[in-house]
Amino acid sequence: MTKALTVSGLSRRYGAVRAVDKIGFEIAAGEIFGLLGPNGAGKTTAIECVLGLVRPDAGSIHVCGIDALARPQDARARIGAVLQATGLPDKITPREALDVFGAFYPHPLQTDALLDRFGLREKQGLAYDTLSGGQKQRLALALAFVGDPQLLVLDEPATGLDVQMRRELHDHIREVRAAGCAVLLATHGMEEAAQLCDRIAVIAGGRIVATGTPTELIAGSGGSLEDVILKLTGAAQ
Amino acid sequence: MTALLQLTLLGLKLNFRNRMAILYGYLFPLIFLVAFWAVYRSDPVPLALHLGQFLTITILGSACFGLPTTIVSERERGVWRRYRLLPARGWVFLTSVLLARAVLLVTAALLQLALAFAFGMPAPAHPLELLAAFAVASFAFLGFGLVIAMLVDNVPAVLALGQCIFLPMLMIGGVAVQLESLPAWAQHLSLFFPGRYAVEVLQLSATGAGLSRAGFDFAALLLTGAAGAIAAGAMFRWDKAFAPRRAWLLLAIGMWAAVGVAAEMRGLASISAVKDTREVGSVRDYAPAPPNAKAAPISWQDVTQADIDGIDFKRLPPDEGIISPLSRGDESPDPVIVPALDRIRDGLAGWSPGNVSDPVQRARNLLAVAAVPDIMQMEQVERFVPRLVFARLQAVIPPRELPKILYWIAMHPDEGDDRAMHQLSAFGLPDITGPTRPVRGRVMLYAFKLLGRLAGPLPNN
Repeated sequence: MTKALTVSGLSRRYGAVRAVDKIGFEIAAGEIFGLLGPNGAGKTTAIECVLGLVRPDAGSIHVCGIDALARPQDARARIGAVLQATGLPDKITPREALDVFGAFYPHPLQTDALLDRFGLREKQGLAYDTLSGGQKQRLALALAFVGDPQLLVLDEPATGLDVQMRRELHDHIREVRAAGCAVLLATHGMEEAAQLCDRIAVIAGGRIVATGTPTELIAGSGGSLEDVILKLTGAAQ
Repeated sequence: MTALLQLTLLGLKLNFRNRMAILYGYLFPLIFLVAFWAVYRSDPVPLALHLGQFLTITILGSACFGLPTTIVSERERGVWRRYRLLPARGWVFLTSVLLARAVLLVTAALLQLALAFAFGMPAPAHPLELLAAFAVASFAFLGFGLVIAMLVDNVPAVLALGQCIFLPMLMIGGVAVQLESLPAWAQHLSLFFPGRYAVEVLQLSATGAGLSRAGFDFAALLLTGAAGAIAAGAMFRWDKAFAPRRAWLLLAIGMWAAVGVAAEMRGLASISAVKDTREVGSVRDYAPAPPNAKAAPISWQDVTQADIDGIDFKRLPPDEGIISPLSRGDESPDPVIVPALDRIRDGLAGWSPGNVSDPVQRARNLLAVAAVPDIMQMEQVERFVPRLVFARLQAVIPPRELPKILYWIAMHPDEGDDRAMHQLSAFGLPDITGPTRPVRGRVMLYAFKLLGRLAGPLPNN
């Protein structure tokens, strides 16, 4: 069966720094795969390569069987993403954003359904710069879903969210998994990873130092998942 | 295509929600227009000779500030990074920004023109060519606006760099300050600024012989626009974290330099045709009342040779000058303007104001056809049209009557109906929409000049 995402031998340098170094992993449909590691470990670079924001120096990336380096537009049509450090025009409304972004996809989800699903119905006509941080994050999620993706890529999606919003976010991610969508989740939140991820790759110094289910990682090293990560990433660095 | 359209419409909506964008996009062009109107308030025809200037300023402002500010501020806030996650290529987003900007520019220009018409500016002589000129000037400057957008990282840098281009172009580039007013060194320097070519193509479309006279200027704008677009495409970046490929800047700047050198080689720097919009004087300047004069004729039929002899034809402006120029009879027009002259010659026969029953009004109407190109300083054309009108007058008015009628018109410039001045579009000439007094002044001069040729004092070679 075709994997939702296959990454193989991926490398990317910035000058003398190897941001990612020959990493590889696969994600199946309906699987949540976590990239876990400290700041600067290479998670964001790996994700930017998957999304085509950064061209890797070596390696291959296939999204639902499509070579993402050769056919980036086709690959992106199957991906929804929430990244750090992205924004929207100040005066755009949630409804307008969903309508316009949806126009880029072959089979977009209905704007009204997304507004209801992400609790934005009451805010649909307000300018983006008047939304709260949580509402902006909901809109970012709704936009990630607008193309009915087969692969959802989330880079630190819970950053800045309060407890309730974080819980809502996790519910949405689980719903996605239940619907058969694959999820690539980059986080340094141990608890979040343990709760959500089916499998985790621990990344440190640009390399994957361990892969497994949360249970396997804990069983292999002993202690909590946090202990495991600290031990693995400390050893790698 | 749907996505491009939706994104373009969204860009327009967002612009109209931004008060500062409306201020810069619409109010400033109107302020510039009012400033031109006030500064050149003594012009015989309001604003007509400055249309190229104020439209160029509008385009320049949009290209140096509006366009790059939009792109850079969105890129700074990560909007373009978010766009990049969509399944579309970069040109889609750039095109949508350019399309939205083009719509904003056209609406701002239309608003400017509407106000200019309200001030009395006549309709442009070649509306379609004016549209083409506006399009190519916009292409030239928006191309460079994209280069600015790709080059700088933040909005203050856009404003700084934009001013570095905008202000010199206005002051010594022939855009706000007319080239005739500049010293020779600045006239040479202006050849290296595309603003000069934009003013030229727009002005020739509005009051000149049209784009057929502006081949070099049109090509210069096309080339600078193409170089800017190519350079901006190569320098394109979604994210300010990535440095632009600055070497491509040389292409855009190099094209300005190449065009300037080509213009120098063609000797286009010096502006010899100093515009002169002086009052043409009164009848008494040319036909002083002699002492012990007999009573003036009470109708054109009463005009005598003695009346005509009382005119001092030597006082008339020279035929080679700026006011009421007239070609020599044996002079051939530049082939480029021959089609325009043919159109006027062919149109005169069927032009209803030129066939009215009252012979004085008929002659007055025909003389207006000669006077308007002079008022509009339509390069070359203005010198040859009086010859066409002269031939037509001789064809439709008996030889015995024509000198009397010309005398009568010259001596009574403020009489008669001036509605014919509003019916010149059939000839490809601008209709006069404002005060007609300046045109009447030129009608008077041409009546004197043609009379002088019929009566003998002036050579009709």
